[in-house]
Amino acid sequence: MSHVSLQNVAVAYQKTNILENFNLDIPEGELVSLLGPSGCGKTTTLRLVAGFLQSHQGSIQVGGKDYTTVPVNKRNFGFVFQNYALFPHMSIFDNIAFGLRQRKVSKKDTYTKVMEMLELVGLQHFENRFPKELSGGQKQRVAIARALVINPDLLLFDEPLSNLDANLRVSMRSEIRRIQQESGIAAIYVSHDQEECFSISDRVAIMNKGVIEQLDHPAAIYHRPRTSFVASFIGFKNFLRFDRRSENGQKPIFYKGDSTFAVSYEKDTGSMTGVIRPDDIRIKPAGPPVTENELSGTIITAIFLGRSYQYEVKTEHGSFTANQEMTIPFQSGDSVVLDMPPHKWVLVEESEVPSYAG
Amino acid sequence: MKQYGKYLFLLPGLLVLTLFMIIPIAGTILSTFFDAGSFTLAGYMQYLQDPYFLNILWVTLRTSLLTTLICILLAFPAAYYISKCRPRMKMILLLLSIFPLLTSPVVRSFSWMVILGKGGIIDNTMALFGSDTSISILYTPTAILIGLVHLFLPLSIITLVGVMENIGDDVVEAAKSLGASASTTFWHILLPLSVPGLMTGSILVFVGSFTAYTTPALLGGRESVISTFLYQNAVTLNDWQLASVVATIMIVLSFVVIGIMNWLAGKVAVRGGNIRG
Repeated sequence: MSHVSLQNVAVAYQKTNILENFNLDIPEGELVSLLGPSGCGKTTTLRLVAGFLQSHQGSIQVGGKDYTTVPVNKRNFGFVFQNYALFPHMSIFDNIAFGLRQRKVSKKDTYTKVMEMLELVGLQHFENRFPKELSGGQKQRVAIARALVINPDLLLFDEPLSNLDANLRVSMRSEIRRIQQESGIAAIYVSHDQEECFSISDRVAIMNKGVIEQLDHPAAIYHRPRTSFVASFIGFKNFLRFDRRSENGQKPIFYKGDSTFAVSYEKDTGSMTGVIRPDDIRIKPAGPPVTENELSGTIITAIFLGRSYQYEVKTEHGSFTANQEMTIPFQSGDSVVLDMPPHKWVLVEESEVPSYAG
Repeated sequence: MKQYGKYLFLLPGLLVLTLFMIIPIAGTILSTFFDAGSFTLAGYMQYLQDPYFLNILWVTLRTSLLTTLICILLAFPAAYYISKCRPRMKMILLLLSIFPLLTSPVVRSFSWMVILGKGGIIDNTMALFGSDTSISILYTPTAILIGLVHLFLPLSIITLVGVMENIGDDVVEAAKSLGASASTTFWHILLPLSVPGLMTGSILVFVGSFTAYTTPALLGGRESVISTFLYQNAVTLNDWQLASVVATIMIVLSFVVIGIMNWLAGKVAVRGGNIRG
């Protein structure tokens, strides 16, 4: 039985449905992150679970208990805010102790627990400081300690690292992961940062327009996106809609105009849209006639990315983006051949592709 | 020498203040200690032993403290609501709330005279319920109180909205998510974080109502407050010496009350300083 279960919940804001018939299940101790572009409903989902918003249908269950109509302050979920939301007029000790005081924990136990938490988040001897005397990373640690000390049934993170600088984000996310695993509390983590979600989560839910398009292990999402939206969101820049397919023994062949593509896959979904990452396309100088899985084209732009060059290549089937490491780069106008190996293609279901997808 | 350059910016304001405020006030205060060239406290002794004057002082102090308290109570929920509105709505509501400040105190007080006086709306309504109409609120300390609250409520609201805007919704949500009830959230989060605004507003309201002249003069009738009493001394009785004594007592009392307010605020104040966490 799953620990957290959202069934058929729905949220509308000013007559617009943000979530509709939304379902999500999270097993005990798992960290699931909600990833998606802004406006996809990820924060709404989190705030709904927290109780800041109400669903007008369906149910929210945590640990077998129905929470659908339970007010925020009776839920016992730890919430970590994007802006830390520390109480500026209270010392770090009082900030962390706040939740314990609401629970009428004795003075002695409060002291012990707060000190334990400060140690857990690496902020010993900070108890008498005030929030404004702390750096962003330290504030977020206090916020995490404050959410954890109440021994919550569920941890909720709302883009907790987005206000921190890049290096700190990386170290803080492994810290959040460590703390979450040590405490064994199920968690929902909202972010728009793909790398952050992939590195921290047991499973990732990619959301679009209030719907989870794919809920899977990070590696599975990375390698096998299910829909074109997911594919474009996680960096598959090249989309090709095939005209027809034929089975050639074990190996299905896809056709687009005069070009043929062998595509390997684990499960046949009957899909006719193939996607491939820029990193997975090899560019060769034009020369010998093009064969299977090859496409000739012309370089339009070459952009230096540091480790590699990114090329925009115009072909008869539209433009492709390809990254390649090389010492002597192609110039715009060069005739090239794109080599797209069978095992690098992924077949996806057509779904709405966000406008920024190239 | 260069680092003193920035103080030059203070000079114009400082000159005006010194010339037209500090020197005259110093003169006023000094003059109260001298009678015919010799040092004396006779002026103060005369007043502080006069039950009539002490009564006026008490009525003024009571009225202005009550005004301050009522303004806080009325302004707090209104300011909280306004601070949570969208920018456009906030503008409209703020404009509406400062509306009383835009009319002259004389006009405003005359309107209250119509409302509160004999045959006014209040009296007529009371009569409907069989109340004794021969007693009207007009020309009582209550009338002064109503007029002053009406006059100073905008100040309270504006200063409170100013600080409440800076209390993040997430701080309130954080308190709730940690198990705080609505009343705990109010007493332990909202109120302490609003103290700077409450302080500024309350000092403005208190000093304003403690020294108000027009409103009490028109609505108070024969009921004197300290400023109307001062006016009588100075203009009607032409006793500037004694008027100066009254003025000095007013200044000292204002400072004492502000000091007490500050001390009270310190008890629940924002120790962390900045409103934003």
